Amino acid sequence: VSLQSSPNSDFEKLALPLLDPLYNFARWLSGDADEARDLVQETFAKALKGFGGFQEGTNFRAWMFRILRNTFLTSKTSLEQRNTLQAEEEGGMEDAAVDHETPELKLLRCADTEMVQKAIAQLSPAFKEVLLLADIEEMKYQEVADALNIPMGTVMSRLARARKQVRDYILQTVGGKR
Amino acid sequence: MSCQWREKVALYVDDELPPAEQQEFSAHLNACPECLAAVAAQTELKKAVRVAGARYSAPPELHAAVYASLHPQKNVSLWWKWALAPLCAVLLGVVGFLLFPRAQSDPMMAALVDQHVTTLASEHPVDVVSNNLHNVRPWYQGKLPFTFNMPEVKDSPFELIGGKVVYAGQNPGAELLYQMRQHKISIFVFQAKTTGSGRATSRDLSFNVSSWTQGGLRYYLVTDASKDEAGKLTAMFEDANRR
Repeated sequence: VSLQSSPNSDFEKLALPLLDPLYNFARWLSGDADEARDLVQETFAKALKGFGGFQEGTNFRAWMFRILRNTFLTSKTSLEQRNTLQAEEEGGMEDAAVDHETPELKLLRCADTEMVQKAIAQLSPAFKEVLLLADIEEMKYQEVADALNIPMGTVMSRLARARKQVRDYILQTVGGKR
Repeated sequence: MSCQWREKVALYVDDELPPAEQQEFSAHLNACPECLAAVAAQTELKKAVRVAGARYSAPPELHAAVYASLHPQKNVSLWWKWALAPLCAVLLGVVGFLLFPRAQSDPMMAALVDQHVTTLASEHPVDVVSNNLHNVRPWYQGKLPFTFNMPEVKDSPFELIGGKVVYAGQNPGAELLYQMRQHKISIFVFQAKTTGSGRATSRDLSFNVSSWTQGGLRYYLVTDASKDEAGKLTAMFEDANRR
């Protein structure tokens, strides 16, 4: 029995494999299982509705993550997070570059999963979302920029700062245990 | 003095440099311990974040809700398709049942042949649709009380279609569906304690069936492809789960 091609089945083929990555992204952003579930459902509903206008050749994955992120930005949780963290996100670029000190590779290798999860959790939303898309979803910089609707230069600087904060958290935590 | 390449470490690790520059950086690493150490640390950090960040899997009820939202109301004119699908499944199941030798040492085999033909008759043979094992394997997180490895089939005659959760004897397992030319192949994975053990193969008029136990898991392969071709996928699974 073959599947008859329809807009819904085309959408389904493209979108269903993204369900787990979208949920993971939503959980990290919102920090709440119920809200993440609602975000994903709303994302699928909006995406299905807009799929007719989706242009072939456009990056579907980035489009789906962008819908989810925009949906999250209008949520109560997001507004609360932005009110409390905006000042932190607007830091300068002076320490955005890759750290030039000798990396403590052995210390990094001592980091367990729970410690890294805590390091990611303490990031501000703007840094967290870039890190999640670049390092977990393994998106290219341009794809991250498309998903978040920000310039590629901003992706690079936020990614560098996010990684530095995660790295510093790990080194301090591991170092403190020794 | 800091190396001029140092500021490009992140770009290199993220594979964002132009190809020629990427190669040049690789060559440079042979001569620059400072950059090599920075690349190693950045790679280690990226890996740690990737592992730790892939933390949550969508719960089964969300899968069900999304799936239901994509199939709200079937068109009435399609009612006969829905009526025929289970009928086809039953007929194919009966054919499979009759053609499959009853004297199997592992009673799971007959049940899984039926499951295989039911899958082939279904309009939605799999619940996670992807040819990428890195999408399919994580999908099972939280759905099964065990985990397993899948082989990379990119450079092989096999193509991954997707997977779903199945039950046999009230025990949950994975059904992974592959395609090889016009042939479909189901790989079933269950906990070995809930099934038989040892290695078994069978050849009859319709299906090749084989099973083996590895790492506390019981694997079953069901297909209408030839025994040799099925054996290749078996070997790839065994190899993937030896690591």
